Amino acid sequence: MIAVRFCGALALAIAVFATLGLAGEKPPRPAATGRVDFTRQIRPLLSDRCFRCHGPDASRRKAKLRLDVREGAFKKLDKGWAVVKPGEPSKSELVRRITTDDTDDMMPPPESKLSLTADEKALLTRWVAEGAEYRPHWSWAPVATTTLLPRAGMSAPSNPIDAFVRARLEQEGLSPSPPASPEALVRRLAFDLTGLPPSVEDIEAFAADPSDAAYQRLIDRYLASPAYGERMAMDWLDLARYADTYGYQADVERDMSPYRDWVISAFNRNLPYDQFLTWQLAGDLLPNASREQRIATAFNRLHRQTNEGGSIEEEFRTEYVVDRVNTFGTSMLGLTIECARCHDHRFDSITQRDYYSLFAFFNNIDESGLYSHFTNATPSPSLLLWTAPQEQEHQRLVGEMRTIEAGLERMHRSAKTAFDAEPKPQAVTLPKPIVHLAFDTVDGDKTPDSATGTPAELKDTPVLTDASALHFSGDNSVVDPGAPILGRTDPFSLALRLQRTEPQDRAVVVHQSRAWTDAGSRGYELTLDHGRVFFGLIHFWPGNAIGVRSRLPLPLGAWSSVAITYDGSSRASGIRVYVNGVVIETEVVRDHLYKDITYDKAAGDNVNEQPRLTIGARFRDSGFKNGLIDDLQIFDVELTGVEVAQLAGTRAPAAVAFDHFLARSYQPSIAARADLKKRRVDENALIARVPEIMVMEEMPTPRPTHRLQRGAYDAPQELVHPNTPASLPPFPADQPRNRLGLARWLTDSKNPLASRVVVNRIWRMHFGQGIVATQEDFGSQGRLPTHPELLDYLAARFMAERWDVKALHRLIVTSQTYRQSSAAAPALTARDPDNQLLARGPKRRLAAESIRDSALVAGGLLNPTIGGRSVKPYQPAGLWEQSGTGKTYQQDSGGDLYRRSLYTFWRRTSPPPSMVTFGAMSREVCTAKRDVTTTPLQSLVLLNDPQFVEAARVLAEHAWQRFPGDGPARNRLAFRALIGRSPDTVEAAILERLFREEDAEFTSHPDAAAKLLAVGESKRDRALPANELAAMTSVVSAIMNFDEFVVLR
Amino acid sequence: MSCAKCVGAVPLAGLSRRELLNRFGMGLGGIAVANLINPAALIASGSDGQDRGVLNGQFHVPPKAKRIIYLFMAGGPSQMETFDYKPILRARNGEQLPDSVRQGQRLTGMSGNQSSLPLAGSLFEFAQHGAAGTWVSSLLPHTAKIVDDLCIVRSMCTDAINHDPAITFFQSGSQIAGRPSMGAWVHYGLGSDNEDLPAFVVLITPGKVDQPLYARLWGSGFLPPEHQGVQFRSGKDAVLYLSNPDGVSRESRRLLLDRLKDLHAHAAEQLGDRDVDTRIAQYEMSYRMQASVPGVMDLSNETEETFDLYGKDSQTPGTFAANCLLARRLAERGVKFVQLYHQGWDQHDNLPRDIERQCRETDQASAALVIDLKRRGLLDDTLVVWGGEFGRTSYSQGKLTATNYGRDHHPRCFSVWMAGGGVKPGLVFGTTDDFSYNVVDEPVHVHDFHATLLHLLGIDHERLTYLYQGRRFRLTDVSGKVVSALIA
Repeated sequence: MIAVRFCGALALAIAVFATLGLAGEKPPRPAATGRVDFTRQIRPLLSDRCFRCHGPDASRRKAKLRLDVREGAFKKLDKGWAVVKPGEPSKSELVRRITTDDTDDMMPPPESKLSLTADEKALLTRWVAEGAEYRPHWSWAPVATTTLLPRAGMSAPSNPIDAFVRARLEQEGLSPSPPASPEALVRRLAFDLTGLPPSVEDIEAFAADPSDAAYQRLIDRYLASPAYGERMAMDWLDLARYADTYGYQADVERDMSPYRDWVISAFNRNLPYDQFLTWQLAGDLLPNASREQRIATAFNRLHRQTNEGGSIEEEFRTEYVVDRVNTFGTSMLGLTIECARCHDHRFDSITQRDYYSLFAFFNNIDESGLYSHFTNATPSPSLLLWTAPQEQEHQRLVGEMRTIEAGLERMHRSAKTAFDAEPKPQAVTLPKPIVHLAFDTVDGDKTPDSATGTPAELKDTPVLTDASALHFSGDNSVVDPGAPILGRTDPFSLALRLQRTEPQDRAVVVHQSRAWTDAGSRGYELTLDHGRVFFGLIHFWPGNAIGVRSRLPLPLGAWSSVAITYDGSSRASGIRVYVNGVVIETEVVRDHLYKDITYDKAAGDNVNEQPRLTIGARFRDSGFKNGLIDDLQIFDVELTGVEVAQLAGTRAPAAVAFDHFLARSYQPSIAARADLKKRRVDENALIARVPEIMVMEEMPTPRPTHRLQRGAYDAPQELVHPNTPASLPPFPADQPRNRLGLARWLTDSKNPLASRVVVNRIWRMHFGQGIVATQEDFGSQGRLPTHPELLDYLAARFMAERWDVKALHRLIVTSQTYRQSSAAAPALTARDPDNQLLARGPKRRLAAESIRDSALVAGGLLNPTIGGRSVKPYQPAGLWEQSGTGKTYQQDSGGDLYRRSLYTFWRRTSPPPSMVTFGAMSREVCTAKRDVTTTPLQSLVLLNDPQFVEAARVLAEHAWQRFPGDGPARNRLAFRALIGRSPDTVEAAILERLFREEDAEFTSHPDAAAKLLAVGESKRDRALPANELAAMTSVVSAIMNFDEFVVLR
Repeated sequence: MSCAKCVGAVPLAGLSRRELLNRFGMGLGGIAVANLINPAALIASGSDGQDRGVLNGQFHVPPKAKRIIYLFMAGGPSQMETFDYKPILRARNGEQLPDSVRQGQRLTGMSGNQSSLPLAGSLFEFAQHGAAGTWVSSLLPHTAKIVDDLCIVRSMCTDAINHDPAITFFQSGSQIAGRPSMGAWVHYGLGSDNEDLPAFVVLITPGKVDQPLYARLWGSGFLPPEHQGVQFRSGKDAVLYLSNPDGVSRESRRLLLDRLKDLHAHAAEQLGDRDVDTRIAQYEMSYRMQASVPGVMDLSNETEETFDLYGKDSQTPGTFAANCLLARRLAERGVKFVQLYHQGWDQHDNLPRDIERQCRETDQASAALVIDLKRRGLLDDTLVVWGGEFGRTSYSQGKLTATNYGRDHHPRCFSVWMAGGGVKPGLVFGTTDDFSYNVVDEPVHVHDFHATLLHLLGIDHERLTYLYQGRRFRLTDVSGKVVSALIA
């Protein structure tokens, strides 16, 4: 009940002073009168100077003393002393320690390089003397749901926001400012709700009729406009760290635009904000999750990813989960929980165990720590983005395949009679192999392949042994260039003899692939996992692959005949492993293969030719060290048990003869299999072209989560289970312990953070700063709310109104507080420079996106298309090249040059320079706040970036076409289009003078005008006089560089 | 990839520019434009209007250097081919790296799966140079000649084993993206000594496709964006968007700016908003930069003798040699931090061939920069640093032959050098084991290195902090100690 503090005028006086002193960084001098306010004056001081050693972090806690909880602060000591003895500073150890001159006892200790000023010491002492009021941190307390509107003395505002703000102003002896001019208000409203300037028509209409009804109509229209969703997305995308590339060094492109478009559409449909959060956290876990609910979960996959060669997979996978947790903390809880990755939080009640308990929610998807360098596979788990016709076609094919498979089963049950009638031969004729490496002879660096006729190549000299087998070192290999390339729809079999000679964790024996993690293991592979046979077909490991592993290892020091058969089904059950002619028991490692295992240049794979069959080693993988291999054969059929046995020189059990009959003799089955294969090939071709997006999808068995010592991936400690921080409300008993339960916990009305964080963020969109100025930190070190009662009122109302975002906007923008003029008398500026009391209207610099967008709008260039892949507008040449990735910026042309800035291609390691100059982020990590500092480089962008020069010229042309004979009217039009009001007489005179001067300048330099008018891709209107148009372009450019163009007042 | 412990220090150095201005009620009229590159420093500027950063000239320790030129050798140069002479590697060429040396330390996934880790002796000869008899490889003949001016640290070590985390760590004190870079910290702390040029300039040798560089390496992280490094590029626009649009002359631009100033003056009068004054000043600053930047980039008034000193490449804009010469010109004009990158040191294979090329491109000009600064009296207060983000393995990555080998990343030990700016000349510091695998004496961790650089500039690394998300951040994160043995 923080709000209670503000009922007394005395407390208020102090509180206001504290606010203006920017509490949270440097507590102010105490006011001469009035009680000390714990929340505003004492707790921030204790947090900042004491909690580091006497706070939530148990491991660093000195003298077993903690001051962040009541029990600790009032702990009793010997001889009638206490840490803090209410009312008795002379018996309070805290007071003694902060006031002593003895450097051994002094607090904070000198080596901490922290200190307390004399005023701060006096304040703490006075707090003790006054009885040492103590409260938990404000944001941990529940949102007050019964806050009464303050009674305003002077008037009775109809909007509750005004009631809170006025009550405060009255106590301060301040009055609200008069309403903003209609021009200023419509501009403010348009930018706040759409990110775009108002049309000249809107300005004129509203200036003519600035009634409440007209204002309501404007609000309705802006909230209903599709530009609203784009504007809301602009802010959210910083938090979501949305970008068009993976980040880290190679920074490869990956398209996540369906997620961005979902965000836009969610805001436009006014999806309740609790749903907005829930879908992103756990849309995949909702009952019958829809495609867009799954797409929303891409939020958790927007973190950076690496493919840097040699990176340790688990190290980076851990980083990804960490990023998810930290982003959740900053964007949804408003807490800096990342501190607790390595140790208990120093300032807030978040333990390291809490951190990993949250980590456990996000640790359970079947992902890899590295994306593929050689392929363009979408890192798993992912969602296929079918078009409707594709999906229908796919369903048809899948249906047909099921029918054929069911038919085959029935057919096989009834084929017994035919089988019994067949003669049973003693031996079968083996199919002809398509690869046969006998390894009997080596000629230089070649060894014959009797099946293909093309010899295989020995790389780094595997050695022919006495037993005419090849001996491999682990680093050398044999590549068979003639071996046919096999895909996931091809039934095939592979047989060889091999001998292990030493224990090895991992050994690559045979594969058709290019690399291990560098390629997501794309291809097929026979490897040994601690001696156990693993065979897999892989599009991207682990989430798009099938693989089985034998339960027992192959013997050491003895030959084994190993055969693998595969039926072309893309199912783990379609793989059989035989050792010495007998099927052996295997376990399924993965069973989810839905795209091909070969390389596809059209799908973006980095390939000039398909990787070939290779024996003994693989790029950056662990080869078959001192392993022996002999007599490798590959068949383009799934060998039957009888065939495998015959190949291995053993007797097949009688039961498998029936299978052999079905596969080789029984024509109906043979025909149906051919039919099935045809469908599989069609399905494979269809799905290959379907793009995917990374999303969340739980693994059936959760991955165990451990607390990590100092946050290091390779220092796991005790197991932890999914849970929410112990100091916050408990995880709801009736919810599943997964991300969906987490989302329910987050959006429960008992959660003190989410609603306040959201309301504060939306408030900031309108006022330039939040009620809590540190929107990224509601914790102990963050700023206190300037209007705590108002914050809680809005949060409670927001929840009661079912998290209706548009209603919240409406409430804010209809307040008189919002509609005030932002002009401030010097006295008010001096008293309240940051406008924390809201005695005037908001003023803020526009975001980078809005600055560029409004230039495009004013020039009539803006292309209003919504969504789709990101676009590449003008950018100075050479930036991407110079970063050393070997990639070139391919600028778009036509309409794509003029899309809204939130569609601009965002390369994390080289973000759009003009936007970054205006404070846009690289989007490498979640950021809640942009800086809006003014720098000279910004002037250069507005003056010289072709985007702005072209927009100026187009607007000049437009003005000229409209008013060919009237200079002042042209200037007025341009001014109004860019600034939203008409120039006053002084401004009009300045613009006219500039036009005359520039006109003379261009007239005396005849070539100059043509050059200026040629900037940009759009063609100039050649009917207009060049010199004058160039001069007018300069005039427009001057207006675009005028303060009011970038500042919203 | 973990931060250690979160330690704070002295408050106040964490306010936004506006907060500072507002709190102290300062107006902007009449303040030198230089401050506007770093408006936060306004509060710190004296009556002369000079931008002195948040320290406001109140150095924590007596400064020995005023500026840094950092020659960053991106990719990780091999210490065994440059400054860390290990004859035993030749004697035991081809033998396996002993387990007693490796001590179970992690390897990258590139060579970690090799079945053999053969020691690779350097193919290049070493000789002793200078009065101190310092061992330098034959690949660096020019550097060898100035070895008595250098302070060579052979015992550098880092936490990261892959390029991106390692270079991010070296440039920002954290492997995690989003922290301010070294130059941004220095700019934030000390401000600027030139009114017409950015205080933190970045130069890159173009055309070297290898380990990429990223904007974050010279970014301002959570510090305000004016502390970002400004890249100077060879070619038309040395600074992005510096040139007027085609057809706009300097006279025409002046006209526009004059009238813009009129508009702003009128607005300032109407609104009483100091931000408008700031904007006027920013436009003037940008106009002056249009002259000052091309001025500093223009090497035409350098003498033949100077070009000879830096090597013939120095006449070709954008080369490493030309950038070294440019760095000297920036230092002369008081630029605080010049970050010069040269990529291409990532020799996983074909090391002998490629490192020879890398050294050829950089050796002469690096040495020339030191010589040139020295003879102009600038070396005393300019610190030159040379080095990469990690070292390389003493075993061969890939096949070891009589004429060829490669080396994988190695974070446990590597070499850097410094010159001028208050470091001990002619010093060789720290010792590695016979295999150049581990540091055996006087390790210098990246955090220690940063602490030492800041100390040389007069900054206590624990006291230059910025409050962000409730925590006081600093370049050295939560550790680092000044290596006083390196300081003259």
